[in-house]
Amino acid sequence: MSELKTEVLIIGGGVLGTAVARELSRYKVDATLIEKEVDFGWGSTKANMCIVCQGADHLEFRKEYHRSRLVWESMPLMEPMCQELEVPFNRVGELALFFNNSGKEKYEKMMARAESRGITTHQLLDRDSLRRLEPNIAREATGALYDPSIAITDPVRLTIALAGNARQNGVNVITGTEVQDIKAGAGGFEVKTSQGNISCEFVVNAAGMAVDKVAALVNADDFIVFPIRGYVAILDKKVSDLVSHEVHARPEAPGESNIITPTVYGNLFIGTPMKLARRGDDATNREMAVVALRNARRLIPDISEKDIINSFAGFLMFRNWELGWHECVVNTSSTVPRFVNVSIGFPGVSAAPATAREVVKLLSREGLELRENPGFNPYRKAITDFTNLTDEEKRKLIASDSRYGHVVCRCETVTEGEIVEAIKQGAATLDGVKFRTRAGMGRCQSGFCSSRVTGILARELGIPEEEITKKGGESRQLLYKSKELIGGRE
Amino acid sequence: MKLQDVDVAVIGGGPAGIAAAIKARETGAQNVVILERAEKMGGLLYQCIHNGFGLFYFNEDLTGPEYAHRFVEKAMDTGVKGLPETMVTGISPERQITAASKGEGYLTFRPASIVLAMGCREKSRGALGIPGTRPAGIFTAGTAQRFVNVEGFIPGKRIVILGSGDIGMIMARRLTLEGAEVAAVVEILPYIGGLIRNEVQCLHDFDIPLLLEHTITRIHGEQRIEAVTVARVDDGKRPIASTERRIECDTLLLSAGLIPENELSLMAGVKLDTVTGGPTVDETRQTSISGIFAGGNVVHVHDLVDNVSWESELAGESAARFAMGGKGAQGKIQLKAGRNIRYIVPQTISGQNKVTLYMRVNDLEEGVRLKIGNIMSKGLRVVKPSEMLKVELTPEQLEKLKEGTSEITVDCERRERK
Repeated sequence: MSELKTEVLIIGGGVLGTAVARELSRYKVDATLIEKEVDFGWGSTKANMCIVCQGADHLEFRKEYHRSRLVWESMPLMEPMCQELEVPFNRVGELALFFNNSGKEKYEKMMARAESRGITTHQLLDRDSLRRLEPNIAREATGALYDPSIAITDPVRLTIALAGNARQNGVNVITGTEVQDIKAGAGGFEVKTSQGNISCEFVVNAAGMAVDKVAALVNADDFIVFPIRGYVAILDKKVSDLVSHEVHARPEAPGESNIITPTVYGNLFIGTPMKLARRGDDATNREMAVVALRNARRLIPDISEKDIINSFAGFLMFRNWELGWHECVVNTSSTVPRFVNVSIGFPGVSAAPATAREVVKLLSREGLELRENPGFNPYRKAITDFTNLTDEEKRKLIASDSRYGHVVCRCETVTEGEIVEAIKQGAATLDGVKFRTRAGMGRCQSGFCSSRVTGILARELGIPEEEITKKGGESRQLLYKSKELIGGRE
Repeated sequence: MKLQDVDVAVIGGGPAGIAAAIKARETGAQNVVILERAEKMGGLLYQCIHNGFGLFYFNEDLTGPEYAHRFVEKAMDTGVKGLPETMVTGISPERQITAASKGEGYLTFRPASIVLAMGCREKSRGALGIPGTRPAGIFTAGTAQRFVNVEGFIPGKRIVILGSGDIGMIMARRLTLEGAEVAAVVEILPYIGGLIRNEVQCLHDFDIPLLLEHTITRIHGEQRIEAVTVARVDDGKRPIASTERRIECDTLLLSAGLIPENELSLMAGVKLDTVTGGPTVDETRQTSISGIFAGGNVVHVHDLVDNVSWESELAGESAARFAMGGKGAQGKIQLKAGRNIRYIVPQTISGQNKVTLYMRVNDLEEGVRLKIGNIMSKGLRVVKPSEMLKVELTPEQLEKLKEGTSEITVDCERRERK
């Protein structure tokens, strides 16, 4: 790409940008999405607790908040969207624990507020009913607010599926392209990127962690966001029996929110101490790990450090962090017409479906003509999931293609067939394969399969193994060939 | 051979599995099959191209592939059937096996007995909880060993190694020979984690800096690793902030512990020992589930492959006897870890038969006496957690056991100096 003209340019291939792209593909719009990483959902979308919440579980959610409205409107949209795109979605339910009467009263207040919004799924549980649902919960918990409607999903797979479905329906989706400058003129925008120039009439800025910086390029930054860093530790599947609902309690100190949640693949997540931090500094540290573990044990005392298989940190862009609540940015810039800024902060995944609809409305209000795309197909097939097939299906599949009988990732039982499917769908890196198939995501963290996946990637992409990267850019895995450093030849 | 007729199914075709399968055939089991997930039999020995294997078993100094080859040949000669690229996906307590195989399709069958020989895996960066960024260039030592010795790649040219396990020290030498510079081997303990011969031959002989009582407190670099911060640790293994310093590197290898791979054992309902991480076994290597046996690193992590072979032969022999309708060990005497003993394998003995005990200590100590209840005692100059103790109990010694003994404590006592 050196010069490109498009009607709508979406900046950012996270869950919000791709949701907007897919929503726009319902219409006959010439749209382009650019993502700076080599794959989708690798920013804030990736560093995620994977919970689809309905937004009534926090005192801060009120009907006058734009963000609350978007989350609530998304509630009925998420499950059908996941079904259309064959993305895992599991309604596990949520338990908000309390440890005394004052905690209980706070939750009663929240429940009343939710009910006034027409959300009537909540129940107050006493200690005995709580323990029947979750036998491993801390004895100190005197009860819980139970919301059976809370669900979990896989945000990265959802994002990949949204991008893929948008592409199927005609959106031009480009990775590895970073915005460097934007100029606004009478006829539209001139966007300079790492891969060439794009001229467009409308911009949707869903640049995630860089949302304010991208907006500032064209003086459309009529908002302030703060980078808040969160931390999550992943527990081995073998302790998945410890808890079956998303469980949390009100934090004891600001930023020390404690939460344990099952994931759609059977691991547990614990987290997430949150703190204002230098943007992009997503390094983990010992303190985060200690706080997360201590707080998780307040909920489930049997959580053990030795069951942690990995951990990560990531960012949410918050407004008004100091006030203890925050609002989102989903509006047309007040200073630059036809430039729409999109940043939810938290919970971005849960709010994505309604946010995408709202962005399309905003674009239409700015003059984008929306004619229905009669060819729009909402469905997208997922990669084969070997583990969850029946014995008979497995037998047939291997008989028809022996690559499905070759288990490459032993921890997650991912076959060569699935990895080849992922590469055909666009995975070009080890992480790309990992997020699509889970190869390398298990307890050995790719110790066994990385050399095999590297080989399959090289073979399928037709490039040498030493050019295979972990996550694009300079992240090559193997820097030299044998004997190269001693000047010899093999 | 039809899978429905299998007498002994061995899960894993590494040194443990092959030794067990050969012995099972030699004991008289007709149909013995090895299910191996990799492309060929031999397990990780094929990437261990250094020598030092077989010094005890063969009285010869062999390389890993040579050691493996002898067993693979013998397995073929004795009529063991090997199924490579066959991954066992489930074992039920009733010994029903399911497996996905590239060559054989999707398999389900129920052998008369099973030997678990899945070996162990290395601790990952995530399991070790090393803080910092998440760039490329971080490998377990064994993964790097495969890249260097099998695939023909050198991960980088300036290497830091965390942990002084044997594979890490061997890779320090290997990468030095390949022209890379090993900037440091960082070990949190006051002594190395592997064998003394590897410290001498792999580190000292190549002037590789060994930082004892140090750890890595941070990983740097966004896309490829650029450096690590190391710090000295105090007596409680906590990093001392004032001693932190940065070491530039493009590769970090991890050699900080091995974990027996027992996910299948758990599926079968086999009880695990919380200390070894492997199944609790009796002297025949039968697990808590009747007809399921185990041998090698899946039971407890060994230092020497020679012991893996011997232990697994025992498991293979017992599995064959079980398949042929034999009775297992009678009577259970619990072996209890006493002073400075971390674990003992087997966890129970019958007290009737000659038995070899494998043990590890908790702490390094000099001038100690190993006491097995009141039936045996032995002076030892030095004991180290990294070096397994092996003691054979003879029938004569076992005769000293009182009738109805249900427990024997093993102690490693300090010797009075005269």
